Amino acid sequence: MTEADEHMDFDLEIEPEDEGEEALETDLGDPCLVVDDLHVVYRVIGGRARKEAEKKGSEVREIKVKEPFFKRLLQSGRQHVGAVSEVHAVRGVSFTVRHGESVGIVGVNGSGKSTMLRAIAGLMPPKHGSVHVSGEPSLLGVNAALMPQLSGERNIMIGGLALGLTPKEVDEKFDEVVEFAGIGDFVYLPMKTYSSGMGARLRFAISSAASPDILMIDEALATGDAAFKERSKSRIEDVRANAGTVFLVSHSISTIEAMCTRVLWMHQGQLVMDGPVHEVADAYKKFVRAQRPGGMTPARRRAIQRKRAAEAKAAEAEAKKAEAEQKKAAEARA
Amino acid sequence: MSTPTTDAAAPAKPAASGDAKTPPPPLVPGTTSAERLALAKKYGLRPLNVRPPLGEYIRDLAGRWAFIRVLATSTAYAKNQNNYLGQLWAVLNPILNAAVYVLIFGILLGLNRGVSNSIAFIVIGVFMYRFIESSVTGGAKSISGKTQLLRSLHFPRAVLPMSTVLSLLTTLLPAIVVMCIVTLLSGLLPGYAMIHITWWWLLLPAAVALMWIFNTGLAFIMARYVATTPDVENVLPFVMRVVMYASGVIFPIVGHLDKLHIPEAFKAVVGGILEYQPVAVYLYLVRSVLMQEEQFPPSGLMWALGGVWAVVFFVVGFIVFWRGEERYGRD
Repeated sequence: MTEADEHMDFDLEIEPEDEGEEALETDLGDPCLVVDDLHVVYRVIGGRARKEAEKKGSEVREIKVKEPFFKRLLQSGRQHVGAVSEVHAVRGVSFTVRHGESVGIVGVNGSGKSTMLRAIAGLMPPKHGSVHVSGEPSLLGVNAALMPQLSGERNIMIGGLALGLTPKEVDEKFDEVVEFAGIGDFVYLPMKTYSSGMGARLRFAISSAASPDILMIDEALATGDAAFKERSKSRIEDVRANAGTVFLVSHSISTIEAMCTRVLWMHQGQLVMDGPVHEVADAYKKFVRAQRPGGMTPARRRAIQRKRAAEAKAAEAEAKKAEAEQKKAAEARA
Repeated sequence: MSTPTTDAAAPAKPAASGDAKTPPPPLVPGTTSAERLALAKKYGLRPLNVRPPLGEYIRDLAGRWAFIRVLATSTAYAKNQNNYLGQLWAVLNPILNAAVYVLIFGILLGLNRGVSNSIAFIVIGVFMYRFIESSVTGGAKSISGKTQLLRSLHFPRAVLPMSTVLSLLTTLLPAIVVMCIVTLLSGLLPGYAMIHITWWWLLLPAAVALMWIFNTGLAFIMARYVATTPDVENVLPFVMRVVMYASGVIFPIVGHLDKLHIPEAFKAVVGGILEYQPVAVYLYLVRSVLMQEEQFPPSGLMWALGGVWAVVFFVVGFIVFWRGEERYGRD
């Protein structure tokens, strides 16, 4: 077992409102994305992989420096001077995606999902291999760098222009973006005053305003309320209906089951499973549960979920009762 | 009803419950690399992460002019937005700057630098040199400091250094107004030559435009090298300080050269380099336009050199930057 396995995050979120939802089936068209033997290696300056990690065949490895004479001299300061490592995040991934497909990517933390998504969006140059696409892919990340000091209005302009729209097109889409993000008059305040949910919603609205051929989403749906989630789901269906393709990286397996038709499972930078949504999702769920330190069984998990649901219902009933009483009191006063 | 495509050679089977703790082994693709590339070619797919040809790149960049402009003005605007006085700082900042130089060099030290109005000499030198210096340091950070942006959005990367310099130009404009006013007022002080507004002043925008083109070229070069070797950024402040003294920003360098004990022929070469290197040329141009100084008569040669340096740096810088296009964002 490698380091990545030990530090695995055991989240397997189930969003109750996604249960039972199914992704819309659309007719598949021609291939629109071909990934051929993709390797992504990035340089990390200021950190050196430890020897032990290297031995275990982990994906972080040190760049060999040929300096035998100075070696002893440098030994003491190696971590601090000239520390350059390489992280081999994606190791030989190949697949083909067709128009209208909705692809979910699952995997434990650090398995290379986000890096691969960036590489197939053309934002992380690969070390080896190639990516071929039709149209312009657009990645929607939670960290999309807009300017926090500026108003939402200004950021809509910057984001729209960055996506390749003209200023006139951005002006035309302005109202639609604000409405979709559901931020109202906050759009005229600096973005740093936004709650994280509002910021994420605005970014999603800006990024999908350009109606890209290939929409890539990196855990963006985790923020936002249920109403927004519903709207973004319909936006995703729009993209797919226009023969576009959607990629979705999410920690919520139920979101993936609700929105995707196909799932790629990545582990340590490699593709370990690729197939219809339920087949892969079931195998992945089984795998993650087996990793759980407490060995929580599905039955126990269901029991906890039932208990939570019952509690929520009770709370709701209480709230209703209180409301009714208030009304009654108000009427009595009147 | 359609089923998703799978490239696996054999249909993937869920791991048996016994070894659920280990993930399935890596998939072996059902197609060879050549087949996949042929498929991509058949459906006319475009390879990503490939540096576009120079012509296409320039066209793409020209189409992003609005983006460059909005990014530049927004950055310049955002810089002052966190203060109570807000955008007033765009004017206050250069005024305070000029005040410090006038106080120290003009009044406290009272140095005569072989020019009849040393306050005007220093203020013009410092303001114009700051434009060059901040273009170099800003250009150096324009790629290396924006990794998140590079990894989130797709656009020609040359947008970033260009908008950095344009943003500096935006902040320079109020500074130039302050500079002109200080230059005029300095003539009223006793012991400093009067400065008059002449027709030559109309050429000031031309000189600033040439500097803008030159600075953009510099920013391109810095952006590329700092993106690959971040260490370069640590050396830049020292290089820029040497350039400052060598370009006659706060005192004329040419006079000092005569006092050095070096062979005459060597002196001529060094003198020529110091006089005709781009930074000195641009400072000369602005001074010759604004000041009526015997040392800086209007010179056709200097204007020609200013144009040549601007074009050379811009073209070379642009090509240097473009050659690294597919690598930005990886490190």
